[in-house]
Amino acid sequence: MKVAFYSGCVSKGACPELYASAMKIAEPLGLELVELTQAPCTGAGVLSEQNPEVADALNGLILAMAEEIDADLMTICSTCQGVLAGHNHDLRRDPRRMEKVNAAIADQGFYYHGTTEVKHLLWMLVEDIGLERVAAAIRRKLAGLRIAPFYGCYILRPEEYLGLRERPERKTYLERLITLLGAEPVEYRGATKCCGFPMITFNRDVSLGMAGNHLLEAKERGADLLVTPCPLCHLNLDAQQPDAARVLKKKIDVPVLHLPQLLGLAFGMRPEELRLDHHVVPTKGVLEKVELKV
Amino acid sequence: MIIDHDVVVLGAGLAGMRAALETARAGADVAIVTKVHPIRSHSNAAQGGINAAIGEGDSWESHAFDTIKGSDYLADQDAVEVMCREAPADIIEFEHMGVIFYRDENGKLGTRAFGGASQARTYFVGDITGQALLVTLYDQILKAGVKVYEEWFATSLYVEDGACRGLVALELITGELHFLRAKAVINCAGGLGRVFEPSTNAMICTGDGYALAYRAGAPLMDMEMVQYHPTTLAGSGFLMTEAARGEGAYLINAKGERFLKDYAPNKMELAARDVISRAEATEIEKGNGVDGCVLLDLRHLGPDIVLKKLPQIHEMAIDYLGIDMLKEPVPVRPGMHYQMGGIKTDINGATPLPGLYAAGEVACVSVHGGNRLGANSLLDTIVFGRRAGRAAAAYVKTVTPTRRSTAILKSEQERIDELLARPYTGETHARLRLELATLMDKNVGVYRNEAGLREALAKIRELKERYGRLAVGDKGRVFNQALQFALEVGYMLDCAETIVLGALERKESRGAQARTDFPERNDAEWLKHILVKYRPGEAPELSYSPVKITNWQPEARVY
Amino acid sequence: MQFTIEVGRYNPEGRYADSAIPGEPFPPPWDRAVPRRYQTYVVELPEHAVVLDALIAIREQQDESLALRCACRSAICGSCAMWINGHAQLACKSKLREFTKNGKTRVEAPPSMPVIRDLVTDMTPFWRKHARVRPWLENKPLPAGPMEEYTVPNEAMEELLQEVSCISCGACLMDCESFAVNKDFLGPQALAKAYRYVADPRDARHRTRLAELSDRHGVWDCTHCYECVQQCPKGVAPLEQILKLRRLAVEAGFTDNPGARHARAFAASVEHSGRLNELTLMPKSVGLFNVVGQLKTLPSAINMARAGKLPPLKHTKIPGVKRIRAIFERVGGRPK
Repeated sequence: MKVAFYSGCVSKGACPELYASAMKIAEPLGLELVELTQAPCTGAGVLSEQNPEVADALNGLILAMAEEIDADLMTICSTCQGVLAGHNHDLRRDPRRMEKVNAAIADQGFYYHGTTEVKHLLWMLVEDIGLERVAAAIRRKLAGLRIAPFYGCYILRPEEYLGLRERPERKTYLERLITLLGAEPVEYRGATKCCGFPMITFNRDVSLGMAGNHLLEAKERGADLLVTPCPLCHLNLDAQQPDAARVLKKKIDVPVLHLPQLLGLAFGMRPEELRLDHHVVPTKGVLEKVELKV
Repeated sequence: MIIDHDVVVLGAGLAGMRAALETARAGADVAIVTKVHPIRSHSNAAQGGINAAIGEGDSWESHAFDTIKGSDYLADQDAVEVMCREAPADIIEFEHMGVIFYRDENGKLGTRAFGGASQARTYFVGDITGQALLVTLYDQILKAGVKVYEEWFATSLYVEDGACRGLVALELITGELHFLRAKAVINCAGGLGRVFEPSTNAMICTGDGYALAYRAGAPLMDMEMVQYHPTTLAGSGFLMTEAARGEGAYLINAKGERFLKDYAPNKMELAARDVISRAEATEIEKGNGVDGCVLLDLRHLGPDIVLKKLPQIHEMAIDYLGIDMLKEPVPVRPGMHYQMGGIKTDINGATPLPGLYAAGEVACVSVHGGNRLGANSLLDTIVFGRRAGRAAAAYVKTVTPTRRSTAILKSEQERIDELLARPYTGETHARLRLELATLMDKNVGVYRNEAGLREALAKIRELKERYGRLAVGDKGRVFNQALQFALEVGYMLDCAETIVLGALERKESRGAQARTDFPERNDAEWLKHILVKYRPGEAPELSYSPVKITNWQPEARVY
Repeated sequence: MQFTIEVGRYNPEGRYADSAIPGEPFPPPWDRAVPRRYQTYVVELPEHAVVLDALIAIREQQDESLALRCACRSAICGSCAMWINGHAQLACKSKLREFTKNGKTRVEAPPSMPVIRDLVTDMTPFWRKHARVRPWLENKPLPAGPMEEYTVPNEAMEELLQEVSCISCGACLMDCESFAVNKDFLGPQALAKAYRYVADPRDARHRTRLAELSDRHGVWDCTHCYECVQQCPKGVAPLEQILKLRRLAVEAGFTDNPGARHARAFAASVEHSGRLNELTLMPKSVGLFNVVGQLKTLPSAINMARAGKLPPLKHTKIPGVKRIRAIFERVGGRPK
């Protein structure tokens, strides 16, 4: 199926492993990724806070770009998902705001009619691609692995922006996928909490404390690794993990995988293809457990 | 511990906090004792608004007349005059404190219509007026730095040489008893809804203020005047504000008729509350009800009004009954709501017991007489809270208590220890309360008669006797709520007794008291207040006090 | 219908009810949480009953020693906020059948705040934060006559209605992740209350308030996670009020703090290149002359470089970036 693929800034910047693995899993899932190469940053919520009208216009532009190619907009980042879905929700409900946005993007030759659906890869796997198709692509069951899901705030809250009132099951898709891939999901409170990324530049220790707490809780519950659909969470949980361990004065050493990487592993791909050798917290321990099952 | 203050205020609702603020402003050393955090006080449940004759073409006289007529002429007119004359200044003061009152198109205070008013004079904040006033007043208390003893439960007033000089309170968090020694006490701990089941009142409205004053020797007045609010939600008893009717809601029966045309053809849904409650009770009795309720219909008001001006009740109906009032009418019935009677006070909040002041729902000045108009209660609390605060501050300058006995601390401790030590014999506070409250709803409800009242009185005395055997299921010290609830049942029994005694004594129907054996109002014999006074070891003493009439002679009360 | 309730019991006197069952230890990382045991009760109630109905039934019929705060039963007084299945809710507003997980409902005091007893949370931290923001009107000069109200448009009052609906239940603070790690954070309720006064046209302390709120533990300590919006039973949406405060603070010129610098650097980056320049965002937020702050970020930068995760030094612009700049130009709304 064809999707308007929105990569988001981070998968092209500090998390190239996300982009690489997302590209790799498209084919087995039957996804035709039409990348919106000219789409700007959504603002990640920061822009919406200080320059709400600019954020509206930029998000409207992205939505219009997807509408132009007549496909659902697929995100691979919880934050992109939350921000885009949020603006989409508001624009659809407020004709005056929509008018303002269209006035702003008209000069650039775009117009948004409000028909784009914004869906994270995580949702598409269950709702559009279908779990049977995903199951059919599995070459390597991840049996024996205990995996802790980490959703990322913006794919869970606020519920009305994300269609969670109508489809509350979206709050359990990660667990369902983990089970489908043959592994055991770990139940822990941090799964739905904030990783602290929004504050990492201006409230470092608190941010690291948050990330560290969730990692430690997952570890205490027996997790071998975390999986997350948000590269910003990934940065705070993986790239900042050594610093988090320092702040909490505890050893952590829990690898964190992106969702497409986990899928890629199950689909039988090689770790290097999925850039699993490009993490701050080494993934070798996980890979050894998985290789043994081949 | 023994703590000294000039004035102790009991209760941190609107009346209590307003009184304390005024006392502090007058330079006296004041502290508030409250069994819940101030913001949890039941003032927060008042929804519709607060009355004042500010608008053009309005006058305090008009407001006063409406109030007096509303009271079925039992109100003391000098007190009503004071309240209505001072209302505008009090509202403006609260606006200056920051209350976010609704504004009209000129940016000035705007009104909504309310029951029993000849013109719209109710000022409001959405449908959370009580809460808006309460949180603003709490912030002012913080600003003024008034001391609050939070989660301290009063167990007894202290009377020395015939004057009230403080109180004893249980600090819930530690279980320690404290004696707050003062020169005056302002009792603002009103509300006794839990004496009835169902009621709109919170679980904390257990008649503490009334019983404490009663036991200290202050007389309770007009206790039989218990207001049944016409629109309480079926089942739970939650309040559906009168403001709904102010915005235009209808009351309909099972046939879809606006039945009030037969009972209050002029004012219809905006007649006085007792009139409407009786109308509903009669309709339901006739068989025109729906499962023992009538229906409140807001469908024709539309989302603009309902969602903007009545959002809280809209949500409540969805939450507790699954009904969207934009689409369906809501079942409601009369539920016990407010106590017009209370501790007798003069227009400055002074009770016949020197040193004891009272204001708010607990006081009977009387401004509400036999029936209270909607949006007059919030007004009552702030006007008389202020006046009592000022009066108490002036009073304490003239007082020097002589004896400094602390024996009460020991006697209270013994009383509590005895209660805690009782073995379990089958009586629990919950069961006793429910028996009492169901009895009161049945026998002392919208319609009463001699036989039912006598039965109630006998049962109450039996419950009091059983209360003497009540055991407390928690023997700890930290936050012992079982102990608190056991003490509260004691207060409720005292209140219930005074209510029934008043109802029996008043052989007429007036305002909220509707006796099927005396269905007419009898000004010749009963235009007077009934007082009940506690006498240790004997039956309570009943007496009368005249109704003060200034400008308005009693007339027939028709809506 | 039968419901099973698991209650977190705690008594500082060390005495539990006679039939207390030893439960599992509370999970880390909330190792600062007060130790507690879980006691299970079964109640028979109508199917639409709420958690509070169950707790009252337990207290009245089975165990008088269960301590909890409640008053109005109708989501007005704010007394009964507690953790229900791990999230802060009002017990009187939570239907049992919606909060049954694995056949039971677990209620307890939230672990991030001190406990007095059982379900009675010590709300002192909450009330202290409330008082810290000086939550009262500091009046602008009063209108002409003593009997005159301020003239303000109704929209200005309606704007404040959202915050005035706050019943101080504490659910937002109980689930605030930033507060859980940093107890000094003012928290959602206090900040929302601060907005209510900042935005009140009758208040004279506008600038001072914004300055104070831009300071340590104020608006920039919020992690923007929407938990408070999600958990608030009254639709106050504290995060929205915090974001409004952030914008007002930046507009008023209080930009000499990492949070404001971060926001401006972000906007500047998107305007310039159409996307986020991660390489410069961190140093710009920390403050280019903040040597200690910069040094703190060095280890993670080195780690990322080693893992090949450092963004390319030459920051590329997106194709069609002119479009983005045109939009910024046209829509404006830049902080001054």
